[in-house]
Amino acid sequence: MNAIHLKKGFSIRIAGAPERHLHRLNTPDHVGMVPEQIPFVKPRLLVEEGDSVSIGTPLFEDKRNTRIRFLSPGGGRVKRIVFGPRRIIRQIVIALDKDEPCEAFDVPTVEQLDAIPRQALVDTLLAGGMWPFFKTLPFMDLADPDTVPPSIIVRLGNDEPFGPDPVVYLKEQEDRFGLGMDLLNKLCDRVVVNLTGDESIGSALPDQAVIQRYTGCYPAGNPSVQLYRIRTGSEQNRAWFIDGQDVILMGDFLRTGRYPVQRIMTVGGSLAPTAEHVSTRAGVPLRLMCNGGLAGEPAARTIVGGVFTGFAGSPDGFMGFYQNALNLLDDGDREEPFGFIRPGANKPSYSTAFLSAFRRKPFPMDCGQHGEVRACVNCGTCARICPVDILPQFTMKCLVADEVEEALAHGLLDCAECGLCTYACPSKIQLREVFQAAKAQYYKEIS
Amino acid sequence: MMKVLKGLFNTTRPHFESGGRLEKLHPLFDAIETVAFTPALTTRSDAHVRDSLDLKRYMTFVIIALMPPFFFGIYNTGYQSHLASGLNLGFVPVMMQGAWVVLPMLMVSYAVGLFWEVLFASIRKHNISEGFLVTGLLFPMTLPPTTPLWQVAVGISFGVVIGKEIFGGTGRNILNPALTARAFIFFAYPANMSGDRVWTLVEQSGQQAVDAVTAATPLALLPLVTAGESASRILGDAGYTFQRLFIGNIPGSVCETSALMCLLGAVFLVLTGVGNYRNMLGGVFGMLAVAYPGYLIYLSSGGQSATMFSVHPVWHLVMGSFAFGIVYMATDPVSGPGMNLSRWIYGFAIGALTVMIRVFNPAYPEGVMLAILFMNLFAPLIDHFVIKARLRTRVPNV
Ligand code: SF4
Ligand code: SF4
Repeated sequence: MNAIHLKKGFSIRIAGAPERHLHRLNTPDHVGMVPEQIPFVKPRLLVEEGDSVSIGTPLFEDKRNTRIRFLSPGGGRVKRIVFGPRRIIRQIVIALDKDEPCEAFDVPTVEQLDAIPRQALVDTLLAGGMWPFFKTLPFMDLADPDTVPPSIIVRLGNDEPFGPDPVVYLKEQEDRFGLGMDLLNKLCDRVVVNLTGDESIGSALPDQAVIQRYTGCYPAGNPSVQLYRIRTGSEQNRAWFIDGQDVILMGDFLRTGRYPVQRIMTVGGSLAPTAEHVSTRAGVPLRLMCNGGLAGEPAARTIVGGVFTGFAGSPDGFMGFYQNALNLLDDGDREEPFGFIRPGANKPSYSTAFLSAFRRKPFPMDCGQHGEVRACVNCGTCARICPVDILPQFTMKCLVADEVEEALAHGLLDCAECGLCTYACPSKIQLREVFQAAKAQYYKEIS
Repeated sequence: MMKVLKGLFNTTRPHFESGGRLEKLHPLFDAIETVAFTPALTTRSDAHVRDSLDLKRYMTFVIIALMPPFFFGIYNTGYQSHLASGLNLGFVPVMMQGAWVVLPMLMVSYAVGLFWEVLFASIRKHNISEGFLVTGLLFPMTLPPTTPLWQVAVGISFGVVIGKEIFGGTGRNILNPALTARAFIFFAYPANMSGDRVWTLVEQSGQQAVDAVTAATPLALLPLVTAGESASRILGDAGYTFQRLFIGNIPGSVCETSALMCLLGAVFLVLTGVGNYRNMLGGVFGMLAVAYPGYLIYLSSGGQSATMFSVHPVWHLVMGSFAFGIVYMATDPVSGPGMNLSRWIYGFAIGALTVMIRVFNPAYPEGVMLAILFMNLFAPLIDHFVIKARLRTRVPNV
């Protein structure tokens, strides 16, 4: 297998990598959804507080396409619906019953799968709440059920610190993964498994699967970056992608006819009580995830997702629909005397301006900004680090001057939203935020 | 100690906050406080983690890199002055004399520069940018030791206001502010900036100067080379050996004479990633690329023509302020280009132009200064074409 090696990019050496062993969490007494954190979707509620729901009862649908529905990850009663400003839906909390009722969906058997028309399969996935697991590049919105993509990328292994390792979640799930792959092959002729991390997992995959391995630094596991490296023409730009673990869910769904709620997640970061993989269910409360460890650490930030692209959750929050990782980091809310001139043997940096350049051990990192915001000095760090060869400083200037066409020519849509430019900028400019907003704005205009 | 300092900031802060007596000076207070304590800012959103490098450290490293030429410059200024004045050449008196010349210039430069920075920062309601600390140090380092202090004040004012603030402040300026300041007083007060007498401060109290020592700088000797003469001999007669030029133990601008010290600074800048080696190497190549063919013509004509090229090309690297300019000014990222290829081109053009100005227009022996300012203007254009060429290779995505 010829690996594609990513040289541009950067792997931060951050402490708190989750161990590979699997810890089974206690069953929560309530689970939740955080619609607010699902990009682009305009949710319309289908339940009210007090309603009884089963696993698989639709909680809300997407106003833009009402066939896309998000199902309840638990059976019981809708305990609370929390709204934010402008009636944005923050949380839907479901108190679980002892014996959770469960919706049954009409799914094709393995034998029928070969013969079933594509459209029927799409309808089944829409009805069973499985559709939102497909996303489209480059905007990373939900896939459009009425189009056939140029290819589907299965992201097996996400190298953003930290997330579940395919070695752990694939274990004893090979058949379900294989079944999920069969399903993907019905949806699109070209399905590629993009593998990062342990090469040995390749052998656990179905024989006929097309596998492409990616090595190198973060974000080698990012589908936008992967596509950027292999595409040969612009017709390949609108590929879909799905996470490896969600392929297993597809298989599970086909096998059982039920909306799957089991998940393998990670708890990581330097403040994690024990950094490990956990077996739990979708929408688990963050408090349960970090094992009560939060209580003793008032200054911890709970990052749902990776440390570059995740969102900050409150201790009363829940895991997101797409995030299977919880990272606990020091909030970094303190001053540092004469920070600018310290030798910095323990200060992680992409640059070589700290003694830490000689250190090989991982660093306990925090969420401090480590400096004040300044104007761009054209130092070029962002361009050096960007994995898809965007020139962030120039692209940003195009956007500030409202030259969207120019920014597009610069490759704005190729931006993988990996956050490395924001990470490395010495002027602390939030470039990723600028690009993300510009992409979303452009998407709104063309759709 | 830290507690005391923190306490001091905490008790004085109310005066500088809105409503306080010194509200207008808030940027100044903020600048001082954030130097002492990196503020407790945390990331608002993603990316949750950030690199430890900030602009303060970045600029501080430029200042550290400037220290070798700075201290050597103090020594050399004092040494040349005492030598010409026939005074004690011991280390301590020489350093004292050098400090007596250089430090007042530095203090005026910082004080006046800071005044403008605070003024613009409080009008524009933003923080003082650290870039000023570099500008305020660079500028006096490039001046002749005899520069009157009021000219230092005028120069830095011009550099900060015209070179930087009218463009919108650090990051938006097209020209390097320190060079703008230097060029301004070069043209505004030529009597103080050129000629043979300005490069050494002669103390009247000493036994009067020996003429040979206040002699011309090496660059000023170049045009004197006539057919059949050799530059090395003329320079040699004046006491300028290659080694001496390299070490910089000669009269000249206060801190620019030593190529060796600039080399030390360059190594530091490149190792820490603060200065880009492409600009520097490009400059060296550019210089040699022009000087070598000229030198070969001179040699092949038996020393009869192209006499201005008669000096060995490598000498150009150590003469005048080329080393200082290419290491500290041509690497300024704000006024230089941002693409790697552009950096090579930019450096190359600076080196080439420097030689050309030196040999063809002896009226401006300090070619590197004009070369860099000139290329500052072209940096965006070079970038424009380099970026355009690069974008052609992208698979479009719209
Ligand atoms: S522009 Fe920034 S966020 Fe986008 S891919 Fe490049 S480094 Fe990542
Ligand atoms: S890293 Fe920041 S300061 Fe440097 S060029 Fe990029 S945007 Fe500008």
